[in-house]
Amino acid sequence: MASVLGVAAQVNEAVARKIGAGLRAASQGPPDTLRLVVAPEELRSATEELLRLRARFLITVGIDARPLSADYRVLYLFSLDGEHLFVVLECAVSPDDPHVDSIAALVPGANWAERECRDAVGVTPDGHPDPRRLLLADDWPEGLFPLRRDFPYDYRPPAAEGVAPVPKQPPEGASVLPIGPFFPVLEEPSYWRLFVEGETVVGCDYRGFYNHRGIEKLGESTLTYNEIPYLAERICGICGFIHSTAYCQAVEKAAGIEVPRRARYIRSIMLELERVHSHLLWLGIAGHILGFDTVLMQTWRMREPVMWLAEEISGNRKTYGMNTIGGLRRDLPATVVAKVLKVVDEVERESVAVRDAIVGDTTLLARTKNVGVLTGDWARQVCVVGPPARGSGVPIDARLDHPYAAYDEVPPRLCTQQAGDTWARVLVRVEELLDSIRQVREGLARLPAGEVLAEVKDEIPRDRIGISVVEAPRGEAVHFVMTGGDNRPYRWRVRAPTYPNLQAMPAMIDHAAIADVPITLGSLDPCFSCTERVEAIDVSTHSRRVYSRQELLAMSRELTLRGGRR
Amino acid sequence: MLTAKLREALICFKAGRVTLPYPFAPHDPAPGFRGKITLDPDRCFGCGGCANVCPAGVIQVRDAGQLLRVLEFQWRRCTYCGRCEEVCPEQAITMSQQFETATDRGDDMVMRLEVFMGPCQRCGRCYVPPTPLDRMDRTGFRTGSGGRS
Repeated sequence: MASVLGVAAQVNEAVARKIGAGLRAASQGPPDTLRLVVAPEELRSATEELLRLRARFLITVGIDARPLSADYRVLYLFSLDGEHLFVVLECAVSPDDPHVDSIAALVPGANWAERECRDAVGVTPDGHPDPRRLLLADDWPEGLFPLRRDFPYDYRPPAAEGVAPVPKQPPEGASVLPIGPFFPVLEEPSYWRLFVEGETVVGCDYRGFYNHRGIEKLGESTLTYNEIPYLAERICGICGFIHSTAYCQAVEKAAGIEVPRRARYIRSIMLELERVHSHLLWLGIAGHILGFDTVLMQTWRMREPVMWLAEEISGNRKTYGMNTIGGLRRDLPATVVAKVLKVVDEVERESVAVRDAIVGDTTLLARTKNVGVLTGDWARQVCVVGPPARGSGVPIDARLDHPYAAYDEVPPRLCTQQAGDTWARVLVRVEELLDSIRQVREGLARLPAGEVLAEVKDEIPRDRIGISVVEAPRGEAVHFVMTGGDNRPYRWRVRAPTYPNLQAMPAMIDHAAIADVPITLGSLDPCFSCTERVEAIDVSTHSRRVYSRQELLAMSRELTLRGGRR
Repeated sequence: MLTAKLREALICFKAGRVTLPYPFAPHDPAPGFRGKITLDPDRCFGCGGCANVCPAGVIQVRDAGQLLRVLEFQWRRCTYCGRCEEVCPEQAITMSQQFETATDRGDDMVMRLEVFMGPCQRCGRCYVPPTPLDRMDRTGFRTGSGGRS
């Protein structure tokens, strides 16, 4: 702890040296969070200084603070991974002229975050490289900002006619191949326009957020602190526990609530069980995309007992409803512990068998080696997280960098690969799967006795901030909470791992073959979503060809049958 | 290559039959599963704590005159979190094991409970504080029995 405070003091000093009086205030809320209030005109210099200290950008949070201090606040969240410290750069922006300098040129990974802040709160990033709409629907009226406090959560603007996304111009001579807005390997409805020359992808354009449901608004307008975990765990259809854990931890951190040790261990165990079933699910989907359905059938068979286990522990196979502020609602009975051990033994035995079978499969290697390469340098710049980052040799893992739950006592092994291709991401996930099983065993062996819930007797104080990161199977999820009065957060911000990871896609599919695009997207592990179609438009003739989902899958599989020969 | 394929084939053969015969044979959920809520009208004394904590807003409470309190459960919205069961001071709500709840009639998804109330002549309430009602009123966190009681 002392070292964290020491690092915080050093960071504070370094920023103060760089921007002088531009640093208006510095404070430390939770011990691992340094909050620096900087003048808006010094934001870029402060960011440069943090980058020099090897800080990693997480997300921006726009807050309409007009009822509190008559301004908007834009918070830039950074993480100093090795030093276990979060740094928040906070700018107060005048409501008369809500503009702030864009940092997207310094941090390419801030591209979406700044656009989202503009769409939701109405603070425009000046000098942004791609200032198109991101979050809001194309027919949403101009000048209406849903996350402003005076915007009612149930307001429905009238529908507009004749609107469309603003497309990016393809390079000269290239054709456009749209994928989506509904496509099976994407987590949510999202619309990719691939610019192709023949079979080769030379660029792409993205439009997404069709599934945006405004849950952050609900969290700060109608729900209360203890109702949000049930909404949070529904953010992801596979790894819900990470979101309810991250939210509860953020509130606990802000309010200074000490969670009982036993509850922290059970959270760890649940999170690792979730990783086990999620990675098995991903392995199956990756196989399915490549036309290797044996892997799909077998890994999904292997993961089913883990789902049943979750049902027995929590009362439901997916929406566990276990987390609450202060700990857990359910204890782990001793009778279930033996079952958990039995199931993970079986899953481990079978996972090892599958791993040993697929590592020698030359067809699989041909389809994944050197496909969708993400360089370590670009991964750092776009702030990629999770297995895609570790597969590109970026040694980050929220469980080690910002230990939470019981990871301080049962730490994970850091699984990294250097190649950065799809095969490297497969290896990282398989290794993590086996390591998760080890952690479940170790956690159960060391499970302390005692309570699982700390009763919160006092009101949660206002205007405190809490940042919590949780290493989801897909990468690091970030939850930010600023506490408010009336028993609910003033602002709740969620950043799921796919948010930064999808931003790395353009580089990963550059100069790839069209048939490699599905597995490259799939290798980022966005959750599997809906059934759809893909259509190709030849720019010069405007002729149109509609590919069905089957045809595109068939293209991908045909390449597998050719043994990956292009 | 060939060994890889043989290993894969072996995994498939070992798996055997996996599909369960459900619905031709019953498939009971694990103990502790949170299914459809059930109400015990004799136990409910109308405190409305369940309505206070329900994240999905399933439960509406309204008073008809001075003597009747109506609790309406629009449980098509129910997310089966079990918070109502947890806070109910009289165990009037419990989560059953029932999961086969599909229906083509909207009325099936509404439960209505009428509780006869006898308000105190002096204060308008029925109980000496601290009552379970005071616990419901507290903001922040409310403790519970742990869902499994």
